[in-house]
Amino acid sequence: MPLYEGIGTEKLTVVMDLGAAFTKLGFSGEFAPRHIIRSEVTLKGSNLTREIYSYVNGDDLYDLLVEFLHMIFFKYVLLSPKDKPVIIVESLLCPTIFRETLAKVLFSHYEIYSLLIVPSHLVSLAPLAINTALVVDVGYLETTVIPICHGLPVLHAWQALPLASQAINNKLRKHLHSCNIKISEVKQNIIDDIKVRCCFVTPQRRAIQFLKSNSQLNYCPDLQYPLGGTKIINVPGKIRETVAEFLFEEDNDHQCLSTMVLDSILKVNVDLRVKLAENILLTGGTVMLTGFKARFKEELYKQLNSSRYEKLKLSKFMFHSAPSKDNYTAWLGGAIYGATEVLGMKSITREYYFKESRLPDWPNMKDNSRIQ
Amino acid sequence: MEMRDINYDRSEYVETASGNRVSRRTVLCGSQNIVLQGKVIIQSDAIIRGDLANVKTGRYCIISKEAVIRPPYKKFSKGVAFFPLTMGDHVYVGERSVVNAANIGSYVYIGRNVVLGRRCHLRDCCVIEDNTILAPETVVPPFTRYSGSPGIQVGEVPECQQDLMIDFTRSYYQHFVPKL
Amino acid sequence: MSNYITGPDVVKYACSCGLLKPITRLYFCRHCLELRCGFCVCHEVDSNYCGKCCENLPSAEARLKKNRCGDCYDCPSCKQNLSKRAATVGPKNPEDPKATPRKVYYLLCLNCRWSSRDVGIPDQAAATGSWPERENVHAARLQEIIEMYKGIVLAEKQQKMEKDKKKQRRFMTFTDRTGITASMLRKRIGLPDIPHPLLKPKPKEPEEAVAKEEVEEFPEELLTKPINLNEITTLEQRLNLPEWQPTTVDKLFPIHKQVSVKRSQRCRACEHNVSKPEYSPTSIKFKIQLFAFYHIPEVRIFTVEPLRAGKQCELLLKFSNPTQHQTVITFLPLFPSEDSFASKEIKELVPDEEVPSREIVIEEKQPPSLPGSQPSSLLHTSLSRTPSITVKPRPIKQAITANVELPTSNFVLLPRDDAAEFDDSGDTHNIQDDTKLVVWRKSNKAVIRLNITPLENLNIGDEVVVGFTMQHIYVNTITAVESKEPQRYNNNVKVFQYLGKIVGSE
Repeated sequence: MPLYEGIGTEKLTVVMDLGAAFTKLGFSGEFAPRHIIRSEVTLKGSNLTREIYSYVNGDDLYDLLVEFLHMIFFKYVLLSPKDKPVIIVESLLCPTIFRETLAKVLFSHYEIYSLLIVPSHLVSLAPLAINTALVVDVGYLETTVIPICHGLPVLHAWQALPLASQAINNKLRKHLHSCNIKISEVKQNIIDDIKVRCCFVTPQRRAIQFLKSNSQLNYCPDLQYPLGGTKIINVPGKIRETVAEFLFEEDNDHQCLSTMVLDSILKVNVDLRVKLAENILLTGGTVMLTGFKARFKEELYKQLNSSRYEKLKLSKFMFHSAPSKDNYTAWLGGAIYGATEVLGMKSITREYYFKESRLPDWPNMKDNSRIQ
Repeated sequence: MEMRDINYDRSEYVETASGNRVSRRTVLCGSQNIVLQGKVIIQSDAIIRGDLANVKTGRYCIISKEAVIRPPYKKFSKGVAFFPLTMGDHVYVGERSVVNAANIGSYVYIGRNVVLGRRCHLRDCCVIEDNTILAPETVVPPFTRYSGSPGIQVGEVPECQQDLMIDFTRSYYQHFVPKL
Repeated sequence: MSNYITGPDVVKYACSCGLLKPITRLYFCRHCLELRCGFCVCHEVDSNYCGKCCENLPSAEARLKKNRCGDCYDCPSCKQNLSKRAATVGPKNPEDPKATPRKVYYLLCLNCRWSSRDVGIPDQAAATGSWPERENVHAARLQEIIEMYKGIVLAEKQQKMEKDKKKQRRFMTFTDRTGITASMLRKRIGLPDIPHPLLKPKPKEPEEAVAKEEVEEFPEELLTKPINLNEITTLEQRLNLPEWQPTTVDKLFPIHKQVSVKRSQRCRACEHNVSKPEYSPTSIKFKIQLFAFYHIPEVRIFTVEPLRAGKQCELLLKFSNPTQHQTVITFLPLFPSEDSFASKEIKELVPDEEVPSREIVIEEKQPPSLPGSQPSSLLHTSLSRTPSITVKPRPIKQAITANVELPTSNFVLLPRDDAAEFDDSGDTHNIQDDTKLVVWRKSNKAVIRLNITPLENLNIGDEVVVGFTMQHIYVNTITAVESKEPQRYNNNVKVFQYLGKIVGSE
């Protein structure tokens, strides 16, 4: 019975990481999220499925979030949200309209007790028990790199590029359509499935060979992917190997994943550069593609040799492996933070929110000026 | 919207004392094992296998055309045994559906072309949408809506489902009138 | 032909928050006399139960078992239920005449034929409760880290508290007056020394994670060997097991089935429950059921003539009265021009003593200025729970595409009488009906004729939407308990009908 909830046991806090493609949900103090679900809602009237991040304006997002959070609270987490604390793990580069609407939905519609928003790059270090690292988050919409030094994010060294899962999906879709003309529009989750199961990132030596016009190398074997029980999509070996190549090819601004890391290190103070290079943390679901990490390391070393990074006196890169799968490392950090007293000390209560009617935010001069 | 009158050929249907309207074109095997509680409509070309085990329906049930009501079996080491099938009151079974379930509660709406796997349990006040195929031994909790193949829960049913089904089946029965 | 269970909703009512919902999805709060929908009520979790075994799970146990049933499992490859199958195994010792063949159990999915033997789980001797569980490999290290962080934050918090305390010293301490510190005094008396808090042995801190140069190697066999899609798990299968996310099928473990919840709904304005189910999972009854279906007259489309743009068509609507009291239906225009937009008239027909709570309700009805909600007013703080926030209603976003000629007369709907269905004595009520308005009448139902004119500028295939405000007398039976006359209120409900598409124009 609801009256006796919470007596005798610790107060359970819901920890949510609302990503663009997947949402990780669970409770504080646990070691893995209870559920990882897609960030999309099926509207009751029209049977359309809409992604949360495909909102048109603030009102649309409000309705989508109400529906989504309703599903989260009453189907997955199974807790009444009223008068409960909630922790949200979000990127430091999250759009303001999203976080303000989320806070409005949580406070005015679901009447939670308090909300604690933790930056994902910072808390990803909590499962590792270290203070300084370079966090590379390869997600769905974009890849962001933010160095953390002595427990503080170094915001001016931020890097972000839209080279992530969505770009890989679009490329895959385009190639598959050109190879399989008879197949009409393929749905999003089929593309995701093909990417996860069939594709991988090839090692650097083969990538260099493929770029040469007279390469003699054979691609990996083709794959027949069954679709819907009747049709078959042919996934050529070339696509399987090279769909993620563009992540490491420099674009017109001479930027790609590997240069982002080095640019970010360049912007940090000289004394911390070596320490950052020796503490690189890769998070995000896209990192779990087969061969990604090995190729990333090779590309970093290759970029180090180019002329513009001569100032960087780095010799080696060292990578951390978190005690979790890469797609929920940030969530795990949020859960660890939630288990401590930080929740009581730094969260935003409902009274505070209705007095201020906005969340404290780092770009806002009211919050980041040093005058107390 | 309000239901339309459904006319049937007077010679085709038999009306019993308790108000059951059974078409003559149905295949009722083992009719002594079939118990129709009252005001039940069984439309043409339906098949009820009472010869395998007891079949018991409640009041105001509607079994549409070409539906198959077949009690489920269970394999034992010494052979197979058929279990009785009970349906509650105010149940609507859509056209061409195959009901192998062990137990159907009251106020249930089953759509068309539905296949209920063997030994399913449908609790009261649930809705199975058209063209669903339920895996064997699925338990459908109350106030849920199942759809797809294999059937999974896709939504919820409003709380006044009980009255809606009573209204639906009653008005269906009232509008099921012989041609004049 | 659409009905409430399957088809599209053709008649929708406007809830007090501005959304349009069919009557089956609306609640009626008897204390505020307002319609509420799923959006504007506060949902709460009432009880947990397992969908398969239909047994209640007390909330403490649900929390312990992480909201999963202890006994029921889901297939990891298709998420359907797993059933337990028995197999007989020969006796352990074939020569021993007393040994009997044992029964062993394994899990089998009846949909995709996955079984627990595919992953190597040994068959269990007991049917329930003994299936092996897997633990997270990082559990010990993470527990250490959590303890460390808890300690750090607690120390920081205590330091802050001590700093606050130290600021408030106003009196001279013993040390300041005499020059003797507490530790000197303790030594003089003979008590053991209290160690300085900073010298306390700190709990063992977990080591920081060490970065390595090596990362996961690229598996070379991917380049040459064709992969078998049946052996690789799909993304959904991986995400069902977040802790392990196996890449190959032989590591898929059965998942404990998630429990479901029963929800109760509560009106945000007056904090009364609007719907509360019974505790038992198989029961379909409600302890409190204030559904609009039982209080507001239901409007159903009986027939509608083929609609032509600009031409007058006839619409027959069927009204039925679900309450036990007689009611009078009056038609009002949808948006009355003299009253403020979306405000409610509360006129009492029987002059009774003023109930003071009505005043608060009227004051709160402000015309909404902006779409999208802002908290408008906080109710008085109650002692037991924090007050709900009432949210400004949003304007109704439904364009009317046909004009309805509102009849000037009203008509009576008789109370619902369940015994009347068995009584074939015919209508003996002497109700003078306007025959142009009321086409047919039987016990608590009546069919009304309305004339509608779709707008001129509609094309063939456009949806025709008609709306009006239905005013009915609602008898509030709550206050009847205090031996007063039950109060009658005029309740206004906006009703919208979706009549279908325009066919032809001449």
